[in-house]
Amino acid sequence: MDFKLGRINLNAVAQGVGGLVFGNDTSASSEDSYVERLLDRISNGVLADDRRSAMSQLQSIVAESRAAQLAFGAMGFPVLTAVLKEERDDIEMVRGALETLVSALTPTDAAGGKKNEVQPTLMNSDLLSREADSIPLLLSLLEEVDFYVRYYTLQLLTALLTHSPNRLQEAILTTPRGITRLMDMLMEREVIRNEALLLLTYLTREAEEIQKIVVFEGAFEKIFSIIKEEGGSEGGVVVQDCLELLNNLLRRGASNQILLRETIGFEQLVSILKLRGSAYNFTQQKTVNLLGALESIELLLMGGLDAEPGKDFNRQSNQTAFAQRNVLDHLLLLGVESPWAAVSVRCAALRCIGVLISNHPLNLDALANKVLGEEPHFEPALNSIFRIILRTSSLQEFIAADYVFKCFCEKNTNGQAMLASTIIPQPHSGIRDPLDEDIKMPFGSMLLRGLTVNENDEDLETCWRAASVLSHILKGNIQSKERVLQVKLEAPMTSFGTPELLMHRIVKYLAVGASMSRNNGDCKTSTSSSCLYTQPIILRLLVTWLADCPNAVHSFLGSQDHLTYLLELVSSLSETVFIRGLSAVILGECVLYNKSDDNGMDAFEVVDAISQKIGLASYFLKFDEMQKSFPFLSAKASQHRKPLARSSAASMSEVENVEESTAIDPKHDEDPVLMSIFDGPFVSIIKRLETDIRQSIVEVFSHPKSKVAVVPAEMEQKDGESNEDYIKRLKSFVEKQCKELQDLLGRNATLAEDVAKTGGAGVSGSDQANGGKERVQAETLRRDLQEAKQRVEVLKSEKTKIEAEASIYRNLAGKMESDLKSLSDAYNSLEQVNFRLESDVKALREGRSEPGLDLEAIKAEGREEVQKESEAELNDLLVCLGQEQSKVERLSTRLVELGEDVDSLLEGIGDDVGLPEDSEDEEDR
Amino acid sequence: MSYAYLFKYIIIGDTGVGKSCLLLQFTDKRFQPVHDLTIGVEFGARMITIDNKPIKLQIWDTAGQESFRSITRSYYRGAAGALLVYDITRQRETFNHLASWLEDARQHANANMTIMLIGNKCDLAHRRAVSTEEGEQFAKEHGLIFMEASAKTAQNVEEAFISTAATIYKKIQDGVFDVSNESYGIKVGYGGIPGPSGGRDGSASQAGGCCS
Ligand SMILES: Nc1nc2c(ncn2[C@@H]2O[C@H](COP(=O)(O)OP(=O)(O)O)[C@@H](O)[C@H]2O)c(=O)[nH]1
Ligand SMILES: [Mg+2]
Repeated sequence: MDFKLGRINLNAVAQGVGGLVFGNDTSASSEDSYVERLLDRISNGVLADDRRSAMSQLQSIVAESRAAQLAFGAMGFPVLTAVLKEERDDIEMVRGALETLVSALTPTDAAGGKKNEVQPTLMNSDLLSREADSIPLLLSLLEEVDFYVRYYTLQLLTALLTHSPNRLQEAILTTPRGITRLMDMLMEREVIRNEALLLLTYLTREAEEIQKIVVFEGAFEKIFSIIKEEGGSEGGVVVQDCLELLNNLLRRGASNQILLRETIGFEQLVSILKLRGSAYNFTQQKTVNLLGALESIELLLMGGLDAEPGKDFNRQSNQTAFAQRNVLDHLLLLGVESPWAAVSVRCAALRCIGVLISNHPLNLDALANKVLGEEPHFEPALNSIFRIILRTSSLQEFIAADYVFKCFCEKNTNGQAMLASTIIPQPHSGIRDPLDEDIKMPFGSMLLRGLTVNENDEDLETCWRAASVLSHILKGNIQSKERVLQVKLEAPMTSFGTPELLMHRIVKYLAVGASMSRNNGDCKTSTSSSCLYTQPIILRLLVTWLADCPNAVHSFLGSQDHLTYLLELVSSLSETVFIRGLSAVILGECVLYNKSDDNGMDAFEVVDAISQKIGLASYFLKFDEMQKSFPFLSAKASQHRKPLARSSAASMSEVENVEESTAIDPKHDEDPVLMSIFDGPFVSIIKRLETDIRQSIVEVFSHPKSKVAVVPAEMEQKDGESNEDYIKRLKSFVEKQCKELQDLLGRNATLAEDVAKTGGAGVSGSDQANGGKERVQAETLRRDLQEAKQRVEVLKSEKTKIEAEASIYRNLAGKMESDLKSLSDAYNSLEQVNFRLESDVKALREGRSEPGLDLEAIKAEGREEVQKESEAELNDLLVCLGQEQSKVERLSTRLVELGEDVDSLLEGIGDDVGLPEDSEDEEDR
Repeated sequence: MSYAYLFKYIIIGDTGVGKSCLLLQFTDKRFQPVHDLTIGVEFGARMITIDNKPIKLQIWDTAGQESFRSITRSYYRGAAGALLVYDITRQRETFNHLASWLEDARQHANANMTIMLIGNKCDLAHRRAVSTEEGEQFAKEHGLIFMEASAKTAQNVEEAFISTAATIYKKIQDGVFDVSNESYGIKVGYGGIPGPSGGRDGSASQAGGCCS
């Protein structure tokens, strides 16, 4: 490293100083002192020539040596800013200073260095952007006449933006006319214009305020005039940069989109799609340019990425305005009729068609009525797009074309009906390749051929693709569902020769698909994607078909095998969570939408089958498992940002990699096909279904179908009925009831077993449970634990409440007791007084018998008095007692209500030891 | 989309005085009692006719909050006209701030920018806190055009936008501007002769339109 630095050093010296030799000193300090000396010559020199040569030496050493960059960063900025501020007249010095600054921010070729070493260019960029007035200074330099001054200034700004984007954005925003100056550069000579374009592109990537000001300054006019000047899609990398800038301006918020629509319109944008020159000649650059223009169109048609769902006005206006510019024709030309265009372009065009028609009645009609090709080979555009779905070798293209049908069928009952109405089996005339482009057949026939083709062939490629389209046609449309239910295949597959229902054939393919993926083991090694997608797509078709459609359920359950097969799928450990989950949903639909009364399998039988073969708990677990993986799927594919790159190399390679990046990986959560299967609407349908299914299964259990009606009147002996008959009748009744009881007991036992299994699953089930299952169980357990904890909390607080109440009552009881006691004391003392008086009287009578009269009288008086007194007190006492008694009774009942043991409570009055333990017991319950 | 001239306008003034409502009334001919707070700037456009010439107005509605002041200043320079709005029912807050708004405009706009002072919400006569005379007086002192208007009843809304345009148009005729320099917020369109389809894109809302 040192040696290397030393060599560079020498080179620089040899070049820059022209013979001045520093010997072998390779330490960084030599750069320090060299740079310092040069800076000193620049700031203090008097000879103009010497200062200029010092500047150019400084520039070359800073361009080549990291150490010099570091040294320059530490000392150089004030010196060079001073030059820029005060020596505007000396163009050569200003140029030199700017070029040196550019070099100080540009990594040297030998910048390898160690990873954790300080990057001098980063540091320098930080230092320069920190300086409050440096950016306004640079922006003011854009007004200089000298070409190089403006050129270097733009480069410097771009370098600053790369390293310190936020600071630069802020500084530019707060500099009056800052953006105006940058915009003026777009009208400059080519080199400067391109540099400014790049800078503006970077500036507008994130900062919404800058995006708006740029638009205010007339960016749209300028962008389109440059694109036109450069030859539209045939133009070079400048066109690409223009389109990237355009997309930055359109990506967010509606405001800029409205401005484009209302002031310039979309004509110029649409005309970029026009293929001039040789239509077969798609250079890479042209492909990139077309992709840029298609992205703009898609952004506008979506109303911007931030478009709120409710505020559709802007989106609809854009759809209308584009339709008026005939964009559909151009898109069809690119997406459907240009097999020589890059796949990525065809896909982008198809996606644009999708958003163009989405929820827009006029545009939906326009597509429905569009025909392609030349006489006499006209063909409806939808048929051509469907053929792409069947034929393409690119999964991306399948997804894009499938998206057109998805958008076409969304909230478009008439469109769905139109497509469904053509699904009529064609007479089986000879062997025809349905993919043969020369044979134009109605849409429905193509669809049926696609669905049922190659039945000998193990490959179900066209089948799952057609099934995907069929599910769009049936989605939410009961008429279409009923109609397609009637479709029977002419060529009998069964030996009995009865025509087979289309639905049954499709279920058969589901089984074939399963066996394929089983045989293939690891699908990744298979060249065919059939084994990956056949099952999920057919399952989605069935989920869609059965929803809200009792007849479809009836038809599906028409074959006992179907139920058995689904039950197998749900519990098969070798299937993915999606397969198991979707199968579980279909089973649930067989319960939820089952209107069978007598003929066919009813909801009870389905539920019984589920609970016997799978167990309800583990059945519902399948929903949980699938829901758990939804977040992965619904997470939007992250919009990867292109790195700031001067050349378009990055995006070029992206174009070429489109195919590889979609490599098939079944275990990967972002599999593009799975993503398109589990799109937002389908996910929400499943969520809604799950709730309903749970409810309807509970319903089935709570209202078991009673085979024996109990009519009270029939329990009586009828008139004229002999005892024997009556007994017979009752006996058979009881027998029937007994049987039903047996049934219920059986079901009950199954449920109990189920519950028991769930309880013990945490321990016993672990041996075979895979990671996902364990996670789900852990989740459930955690939830249970949470609930239990909460319940304990509630109980605890209840306990304290009861305890508090109990202690209040205890106190009350204590007080009453003491009241009682004092009353009885009072009574006792009265009695004592009475007794004493009586004995006094006796003693008196005995001691003095003569003066009897008086004494007797007094005695009588006294007795009377005392008696009256004590009687009154006694009465009071009794009243009191009565009151207390009823109080005690009332409190006792209340205590009983609260669950207290009243006897022990009352017993314990005076010594309250036993009570607290009682309430503790309660809490444990 | 042919026009003789394109004028850029900005609408400025305190938050809540009715700037966004004035724009909506002018472009869409409707009043929206509950309007979202404007963040940064929003855009509207409409075609008008002056002296038989189609003129396209591009209007930027700004956020009144202080925190957006530095951003909205970027729009002053390139605008040909400004509508400075206050609320006649809120004397203190909005009328008294006019001077500071005007100072901002004088500092950052081009000297020839036409400024229209609008006393908005004149439908709320019973809650009036600023008299018409006061408004007139202020306008006169600072050389502005003045009008009272209501975004709710649409009274004077057309007039305000159009008479601003008429003033700019007159300045052009008088040779005040170098119209080839777009930084004045004026753009010359094609010929200035209204073609047969001149008024087609009359407002921001376009009816369904025919199919392709
Ligand atoms: N009565 C009445 N209310 C108005 C008028 N103009 C606007 N408002 C109301 O004033 C509030 C603020 O309007 P807004 O346009 O958002 O103000 P901004 O912040 O200046 O854009 C809204 O609640 C409007 O309904 C008007 O002319 N008359
Ligand atoms: Mg507003």
